[in-house]
Amino acid sequence: MTTTMHGPRRRALLAAGAGLVATAPAVRAQGFPERPITLLVPFATGGYNDRLARAMAPFLQKHIGQPVTVMNRPGGATVLGNTFFLQQPDDGYMMMVHSAAPFIPVSIITRNARYRVEDFFMINLPSRDATVLACAADKPIRTVEEVVASLRRDPRSLSVGIQPASADLVNFALFCQAHGIERSRVRVVTYDGGGPARNAIAGGVVDVGLVGAEGFLPIKERIRPLLIFSDEKSTDYPDAPILTEHARVAGFAPQFVEGSQRGFVVASRFVQAQPERYRILLQAVERATKDPDCIATLGGQQLATTWYGPEASNRAYRATSALMERYAELLRGN
Amino acid sequence: MIDTAAFAGAVAMLAGSLDAWVWVVPGLLIGLVFGALPGISVSMAMALVLPATLYMEFLPAIIFLTSVYTGAGFGGSIPAVLINIPGTSSAVATTFDGYPMARQGRHNEALGAALFASCIGVLISYLVLLLLVQPMAEVVLRIGPYEMAAIGIWGMVLLGSIGGASVAKGLFAAGLGILFGTVGMNTAGYMRGDMGIPWLLDGIPTIPAMVGLLAASQLFALVNAKFIVEAESERRISLRRILAGGAMVLRSPLTLLRGSAIGVFVGAVPGIGSSIANLLSYGEAKRSAADPSAFGKGDVRGVIAAESANSSSEGGSMATMLALGIPGGGATAILLAAFAMHNVIGGPRFMEQSRDVVYAIILSNFAQAAILVVVGTIFVYGASTIVRLPLRYLIPSVLVVSTMGAFAIEGSIAGPITLFVFAVLGWLLSRYGFPVAAVVVGLLLGRLIETEMLRAWQLAGGDPWYVLNYPWAVAIVALMLVSLALSVRRDIRRRRAVRDAASPG
Repeated sequence: MTTTMHGPRRRALLAAGAGLVATAPAVRAQGFPERPITLLVPFATGGYNDRLARAMAPFLQKHIGQPVTVMNRPGGATVLGNTFFLQQPDDGYMMMVHSAAPFIPVSIITRNARYRVEDFFMINLPSRDATVLACAADKPIRTVEEVVASLRRDPRSLSVGIQPASADLVNFALFCQAHGIERSRVRVVTYDGGGPARNAIAGGVVDVGLVGAEGFLPIKERIRPLLIFSDEKSTDYPDAPILTEHARVAGFAPQFVEGSQRGFVVASRFVQAQPERYRILLQAVERATKDPDCIATLGGQQLATTWYGPEASNRAYRATSALMERYAELLRGN
Repeated sequence: MIDTAAFAGAVAMLAGSLDAWVWVVPGLLIGLVFGALPGISVSMAMALVLPATLYMEFLPAIIFLTSVYTGAGFGGSIPAVLINIPGTSSAVATTFDGYPMARQGRHNEALGAALFASCIGVLISYLVLLLLVQPMAEVVLRIGPYEMAAIGIWGMVLLGSIGGASVAKGLFAAGLGILFGTVGMNTAGYMRGDMGIPWLLDGIPTIPAMVGLLAASQLFALVNAKFIVEAESERRISLRRILAGGAMVLRSPLTLLRGSAIGVFVGAVPGIGSSIANLLSYGEAKRSAADPSAFGKGDVRGVIAAESANSSSEGGSMATMLALGIPGGGATAILLAAFAMHNVIGGPRFMEQSRDVVYAIILSNFAQAAILVVVGTIFVYGASTIVRLPLRYLIPSVLVVSTMGAFAIEGSIAGPITLFVFAVLGWLLSRYGFPVAAVVVGLLLGRLIETEMLRAWQLAGGDPWYVLNYPWAVAIVALMLVSLALSVRRDIRRRRAVRDAASPG
C-alpha cells in the first residue's frame, strides 16, 4: 500500500507546497470541500466512536471550513455501515469514525462481508484500547494468579463474561493456552456488545470478564482490574498488572492482540482516485487533532487525541488484521 | 436519603433560571409529535434534537432532552389508540384496548386515560428515583440472565395467546413471532435465518415489522368502513370526555400503581426497557382482573396498565444512568452523550459531586409531568380530529407516514420492505383468524428470552440445577406457575358452569 501511495502523495505534497497556505479558507479556495462533510459512525449513538465523532466535529469544521455532521449507521457488527460507506462516491464528502481494528477484519471473518481489509485506509487511529481481565469490586478474587490457579484446578470453577468474535476472546484463548487451562470446559458467557459485558462484570453476574478497558472508566470504582493485555502500563489503571510482566513471572512468552483501535477512516479507492482531496482531509484531521482547544475538550471527555498519522495507523490496522486472520477459526467459533 | 442542602440548591437552581424552564414546553411538543409519528422512536426524537443542546447550558440541555423523552413516551399512545399503530415500540399494549375503545367512539376517554396514566406514571417513577436512586441502581445491576429469562417467560405466559379465540391459533402465532425474533446473530455469535441478506444480520427490524403487522391487520379490515368511529354522533371531540378518561385512571389506583411499579423496575434493567414493561403490565392487569375476558374489547384498565408502565420506565432507566453512568436503552444513551458534550461524565462521581444538579433534573421532571397534563390535553384534542377524517383519506395517509417512518428508522429501503412483507403477513394471519398481537409479543419477547436462556445455560455450564442458586428467578417462575394453575382452574370451573347452564338436566 505504502509503495503504491508514493506517487499521488508526493504530487499532493507538491501541490500543498506550491499553492496552499496553512489556513482553512485557503484550503477551501481549491474547490474542495464546497459542501458539508459527513462523519459516518457504524455504531449506535452514545458509544466511544459516536462520542469521538461528535466531539471532533466542531474542530474539524474549524479546520476544513465546512459544516461537519455525524451520521450513525449501526448494525451487523459494522457490516452495514462499512458496506454503505464503500457504496458512496469517491468525492471525499464522507469519512468514517470507526473501531476499524479489529471490527473490519472480524466482520470479514465472521460475517462473510464482501469487502476486503485493503479497501479501507486509516487517516489516524488515536484511540487504542486494551483488553482488561476484571471482576466486580466486591468479588473475593484479588489477583490474576488466583484466577489462573482456580481455572487450572477446575476450568468450571469461574464463569467468564466475554464478547464472541472479539479481540478479547482471542486474548482469552491465548491466555488459557499459555497457562494450560482447558478453555473448552470454562463456563464462557457471551455478550453481544461491550456495554452488556461490562454491566455483567460490574454487577457480579459473571465471576470475571474480559472486555475493552476504556469503556470501564466511568465505573472504574466498581471493578477490580486483574490484568491488562498490553506491554506498557496503563495510565488509567496504574496499579493493574500488565501481560508482559505477568508472563515473565509465569514463565511464558507473552502473546496478545490489541483491543479496539478507533479513529478516522476513508476508502483506499478514494485515496488513489482523489489524492488532492485526501490531502485536504488528512491536513484537516491532523490540525484538528493537534488543536490545543480540541485536546483540552476531548481530554475532558476521556477521548483520545494522539496523532499517529496514516502510516503508523495503517501499520497497526494491518498488523491486527493479520493476527485476527491467524485466529480466524477461533473467531468463527470452531 | 435526601440531602436537604443539595435539595435546596436544586430548588434555587430551578427557581433562579428562566433558561431551565423555557425549553420544557417545546421539548414536550417535539416529543409528542415525533412520538406520535409511527416509526420514530423516543431515542430517535432525542437524537434529532441532540445537536441543538450543544449550544445550551448543561442543565437546560438535559431538561430539554428529558422533556422530549417525557413527551415522546406519551406521544406513542396517540396513534396506538386512534389507528392501532403504536407510535413507538413501548405503546404496543396500548393498542390492545385503546383501539377497540376508539372504534366504540370512546377515543376521548381512551386518550384521556392514557395521558393521565402517563403523567402519573412519570411522577411516580421520578418520586421513586428521588428516594431510591442508589439502592435501585445497585439491585438492577445484579440482575442476571436467570432473572431476566424469568421475566421474559412471565410475559410470554401472560400474553402468549393474546387476542385469539382459539388457543392453538394463539400459540401458533406466538411461536411464529418467536421464530422471527431469532433471525440474525445470536449472543454467542451464530447466524440464523439471515438468508444471506446483510440487512437481517441484526435480526428483523422490529418496529417496521410491528407496524406492518398491526397496521395491516386493522386497516385492511376497515376497507368497508367509512370512519374509524362508525356512529356519527360519537365522532365528537370533547374536552369533558378527555378529562373523564383521566378520572377513570384515578378510579383504578391499583392498576395504575402496579403498572408504575412494573415500569420503574423493568424499565431500569439495562437492555429490557419500556417495550417489555408495557406488555408485562398489561398482562398482569388482565390476569389479575376479575373479568379478564373484558380485556382486548375496549377495557380502560388495559390502557391504564400499558401507559403507566411505559412512562414510568423513564424514571427507572434514569436510575442506572445517573447512579452508574450505564445507559439502560437508546434514550439514556443519548442523555449520556449530551452529558459528555458538556464535559460531564455521568456516573457515581457525578452523583456525589453534583447532587444538586441531579435533584434539579428530577424536580424538573415532576414539573414536566404536570405540564404534560395541559400540553398533552391540547395536543390530544387536536390529534383526535383524525377520527373525523374519512378512512379513504386516512388509510393512505397512514400508510405513507408509516412507510416514511420505516425508512427513517432503518435509514434504508430495508425498513419499507420489512413493513410491506409483514403487512402482507399480517393481513393473511388476520384473514385466517390468527391473532396478530401474539406475533408482535413473540417478536418482542422471543429475542429476550432466547438470549437470556442461552446465557443462563452458559453460566450453568449445562447443569439444569444451577438455577437453584438464583432464588429470585425461582420465585418468579414459581409464582407464575401458581397463578397459572389458579387461572386454569377458574377457567375450567367457568366453562363447566357455562356447559351446565347450556344443557340443563
